[in-house]
Amino acid sequence: MIEFTEEQKLIKQSVSEFAQRKIAPIALEMEKNKEIPQDVIKGMAELGLLACTADPAYGGSGLNAVTAGVIAEELAKGDCTGSTCVFYLVQAAWGFLLNKYGTEEAKKEIFPKATAGDWFLGIATTESGGGTDVVGGKTNIKKDGDFFIVNGEKMYISGVREAATNGGGHITIAHQTPELGSRGMTVFYLPLTAEGITPTYIEDLGREGISCGGFSIDNVKIPKHYILGEENKGFYIIHEGYEYARALIAVICAAAGLKSLENGMNYAKERKVFGQPLAKFQEINFRLAEHYTKLEMLKRLGYEALRAIDLEQEGKGNRFETSKIVAMAKMFASDWACEAINDALQWQGAFGYSRECPDQAAWRAVRSFSLAEGTREVMKMIVARELLGKELISYK
Amino acid sequence: MRFIVCVKQVPESNDLKIDPNANRVLKKGVSTIINFFDQFVLEEASKIRKEGDEIIAISMGDSETKSTLMRCLALGADKAILLNDEKFLESDTFGTSNILAAALKKIGDYDIIFCGNSSLDTGSGQVGPEIAERLDLPQVTYTESIENVEIGKIKIKVQTDEGYSIIESELPLVIAGIPPSYYQPSIPPLPKIIAAQKKPFEVWNAEDIKGDKSKFGSAGSLIKIIKLYKPPKREQGIVITDEPKAAIEKLMELLNKDKVI
Amino acid sequence: MADNKDIWVFIEFKKNSIRGVSFEIIGKAKELAKKSNEKVCVVLLGSNVSKFCEDFSYHGIDRIYLCEDSILGEYLTETFSSILINLIKEYIPSILLFPATKLGRDLAPRIAAALETGLTADCIELDIQDGNLVQTRTVYGGNYLADIICPKNRPQMATVRPNVMERSEALEKNQPEIINVPIDIDPNQLKTKVTEKIETTVIDIKPIDEADVIVSGGRGIGSKENFKIIDELAGVLNAAVGASRAAVDAGWISKSCQVGQSGTVVCPNIYIACGISGTTQHLVGMKSSKKIIAINKDPNAPIFDVCDYGIVGDYKVIVPLLTEALKEKLSQD
Repeated sequence: MIEFTEEQKLIKQSVSEFAQRKIAPIALEMEKNKEIPQDVIKGMAELGLLACTADPAYGGSGLNAVTAGVIAEELAKGDCTGSTCVFYLVQAAWGFLLNKYGTEEAKKEIFPKATAGDWFLGIATTESGGGTDVVGGKTNIKKDGDFFIVNGEKMYISGVREAATNGGGHITIAHQTPELGSRGMTVFYLPLTAEGITPTYIEDLGREGISCGGFSIDNVKIPKHYILGEENKGFYIIHEGYEYARALIAVICAAAGLKSLENGMNYAKERKVFGQPLAKFQEINFRLAEHYTKLEMLKRLGYEALRAIDLEQEGKGNRFETSKIVAMAKMFASDWACEAINDALQWQGAFGYSRECPDQAAWRAVRSFSLAEGTREVMKMIVARELLGKELISYK
Repeated sequence: MRFIVCVKQVPESNDLKIDPNANRVLKKGVSTIINFFDQFVLEEASKIRKEGDEIIAISMGDSETKSTLMRCLALGADKAILLNDEKFLESDTFGTSNILAAALKKIGDYDIIFCGNSSLDTGSGQVGPEIAERLDLPQVTYTESIENVEIGKIKIKVQTDEGYSIIESELPLVIAGIPPSYYQPSIPPLPKIIAAQKKPFEVWNAEDIKGDKSKFGSAGSLIKIIKLYKPPKREQGIVITDEPKAAIEKLMELLNKDKVI
Repeated sequence: MADNKDIWVFIEFKKNSIRGVSFEIIGKAKELAKKSNEKVCVVLLGSNVSKFCEDFSYHGIDRIYLCEDSILGEYLTETFSSILINLIKEYIPSILLFPATKLGRDLAPRIAAALETGLTADCIELDIQDGNLVQTRTVYGGNYLADIICPKNRPQMATVRPNVMERSEALEKNQPEIINVPIDIDPNQLKTKVTEKIETTVIDIKPIDEADVIVSGGRGIGSKENFKIIDELAGVLNAAVGASRAAVDAGWISKSCQVGQSGTVVCPNIYIACGISGTTQHLVGMKSSKKIIAINKDPNAPIFDVCDYGIVGDYKVIVPLLTEALKEKLSQD
C-alpha cells in the first residue's frame, strides 16, 4: 500500500471533514433537486478541489495523481450519490490534460474560472455511434485561418447543463484528417456557451446531482489556442486523460463499495434475526470478508495505477505499462463495488430497497462506471494487448 | 506580538481498548485528531493576529503528533515545535505542564499563551492554569472570544454560570478557550496545506528545553491510575412503541413500579 | 506528609447564596473524615460571607476558615489562589476538595501547581484506601472510569462533580471553630479585573448542573414556541430545562441550558430527553443520569440505546399526555 505523505494525510483529513459535514447530510437531496448546491461547489473550490491538477500559476493546486486519488476517495465516502465525485473527477482528470497539453492562453482563460467553481470543465468524446472506440465518432474539425470550425454531435456527456448555463466547456476530440483514422484526430476545448451548440438532456439512472446530456455542434468556431497538443495527434493525447479518469474511478468505486459495506456491516451487527445478530450468519460474514478483500485489492491497485501515472510524468514510467495497470484497476472496479453494495442492500432488508437508503444511490452511481470513461470490455482488450502484443488481438 | 498555542492530539473516537496490564488505554494505531478546543484557540489567535505578529504551535508527543502540528501550520500558525523525548512519555498534567513551561521559557518572548479549556479524551482542563502558575502569569479560562488586544493589555469575553463576563488582563497571560455553540471548526484548504509543508518545524527534546527532568514524564507524575475499567453497564431499557395513550399508561406503570417518581 | 491532616472543602457562592454542590461535598467529606479520623473544615472566601458561618454549624463541621474582604466580592484567580495557597501552606490539610464548576476548575489546578501536588478533576466518587484518597472519574468520553491516587504528595486535591454525591443532612447545631484569615491584597498589584457582567440567563431559569430533574429538548422540538411544551412538563416536575446543541444553535434556548460535551455535563436523578436523537456529544453529557426517559419519533435514534424508558412517538403528542399523567400522579401523593 502506498504510504501517504504528511501533505496527503492532511488533504485527506480536510476532504473527509468537508465531505462528511457538507455533502453527506444533503447527498440524497442533491439527487432529488438534480443539482449540486452552489455552496457545495463553492466549498469545493475554496478547499482547492476543483481542477486541482492545474498548476498553481493558473489557480490550481498542482496536485499529482495519487493526491487527486486521495480526494476522490474521501468524496466517494461522503457522497453516496457519486454526483460530486463525477463533478470532481472529470475536472481533475481533464484539468490534468489541459494543464499538460493546453496553450498558455487557454489555461489562463479556463483554469481560474474552473478552480473557482464558476465554470465547469468536462469531457465530451462519446457520440451515439462511438464511445470508448473514439475513432467511430463522426464529429469533425476544420482549420479556417486562425480559427477552427467544428461540426457534429456528442452524447451521454456529464455536466452539459453546468457548462452550458454557468459557463465552461468540454475537452473534445474530432476528426481533422478523416482518411488517417486514429492518426488524424485532434483534441480541443469546446466552450458550451459558443454559438452553434444546442444542448439536449438525458435522465441518468444515478449520480443525478450532475446533469447528463448531449449537444449538437453546428459550425462552431473556436480559436486555435483551444487546441490541445499537436493537431492530428489527439488520439494519443486523449488516452492520457482517460487513463487519469479511469484510475480515479477505480479508487472511487472501491471507496463507495467499502462505505456501503460498512453501512451494511453496522446494520448486520445490530439487527437481530432468530435471536442472534445478522452478522453471525455465515452467509453474511463470508460475503462481507470476500467483498472487503476484493475492494481493498481494488483500492490498492487504483492507487498503484495513479502512481504509475505520476511516475510517467516524472519521466520514470512507461506509457504502455501505465495503460495496462490503469486498465487492470478499472476492469472490475464497478462490478466488484456493485456486487458489494448489492449485498449491503440485501442485508438491510426493506430499508435497503427504499429511496432513503444511501446505498441504493451508491449502487446506481457505481453502476455507471463499467461504462463511463471506457467500458469493462475495452479494459480487457487493453490488458490483453499489452500481454499478447498487437499482432494477436482482434482490433487495431 | 507573539502568540503560542499549545495543542494536543486526541483519539478520533473515545471507544478505545484497554491494556489490561498497565491500567491505560491502547493508543497504538488509533487514528488521532487535533483536540477540538485547541483548534478553536488557534483560530482565535489567527483572528487577532496583525501584520508582524507570530503564531507558534507547540505540542508534546511522537511522530504521529506531527500531523496535528502540520494542521496547525495549515490553519495559520507560522512555526511548529514538537516536544519529543522518551523522557516525556506517560506524563500526567503535572509532568505535561512542567515540560510545556520549560519549552515556553526557552521560547522566552511571548504575549499570549493559548490552550484549549480541556481535551476531549481525558479532559481534566488543568494544563493551562498549571502553566500559568509555573510561569507566574495571569490566567483566564472559559474564554469564548477576544474582544480587544493592544500592547500590554487584553479584553476577553468568558463564559460564566450566569452568562458572560468581560475580563481585562495585563499581558502576557495564559488563555484557556472554549468554543461558543455556533463555532464550526475551519477546514484547512489545499493551498494552505501545501504552503504549510515549507513552514519552520522544530523538534525539541528534554536536553533542548532544560528544566528539571525529574519532573518530566512518568518519573515526575504525581497521580497514579490504580484501576481503569468500564462503567457498569446500564440495563437494557424498555422502549414502548404503543399508541400514545397506552404508551403513557405503560410508562407511568413502570415509573411507579421502579419508584422513579 | 505525615503532618498533613484534615479535609477541607472549598465553598462556592453564587448570587449571595451557598451553591448546593458545597453541601454535597461536605456530605462526602464527613464520610471520608470518619474513615481517616480527621476533621472536616470549610473554606469561605468572599466579601460578605461571615453571615454564612451559621449555615455550616448544622453539618458537624469542625472548623471554618473565613477569608472575608471586599476585594473578594468578585472572583479572580489571582486573589483567590494567592490567599488559598498561603492558607494551605500554613495549615497543611491532607485533602482539599473543590466543586467541579467553572470556578473550581479554574482555581484548583492553579493551586495544585503552586503546591506541586496532584489534582483529579471531575470526580464522581471518593474513598480512602491505605491512607490515600481514591478518586474516581470518567475518562474517554465516559467510556471508562479511572480510580486515581496521589501517592507521594499532599494535600490530595480533587474537584467534585455537582449532583453525584449525597447532600450532607443537617444535624444538631455545633460550634465550629472560626479562623479569621487576614487578607492583605493590594488592589493596585492585580493584573486582572472583571469589567463587565452580562447575564443571559433569566434568574428563574433553574441551572441544569445542579438540578434533580432535567427535561431537555432537541432539534425535534422545531421552534422556540414549542419549547413551551417542554417548559410545562418541567414545571410539573420542578425540573430544569435543558437542550441539545442543535436547539441552542437554532436560537430556541439559551446556551446555559446546553447539555453535552461542549455544554454542561449533567447527572440528575431523572433526565427526560424530548426530540433528541442523541449525538455522541450529547450522550456524553447526560448518560450518567440515574434514570433516562427518551421520547423520539425515530425508533433508531441512538438516545434509545442509553435510556431506561423510551417512548417512540411524536413528542408533541406524548409530552402533554405525560405532563397530565404526572400532574395527576403527583397531586395524589
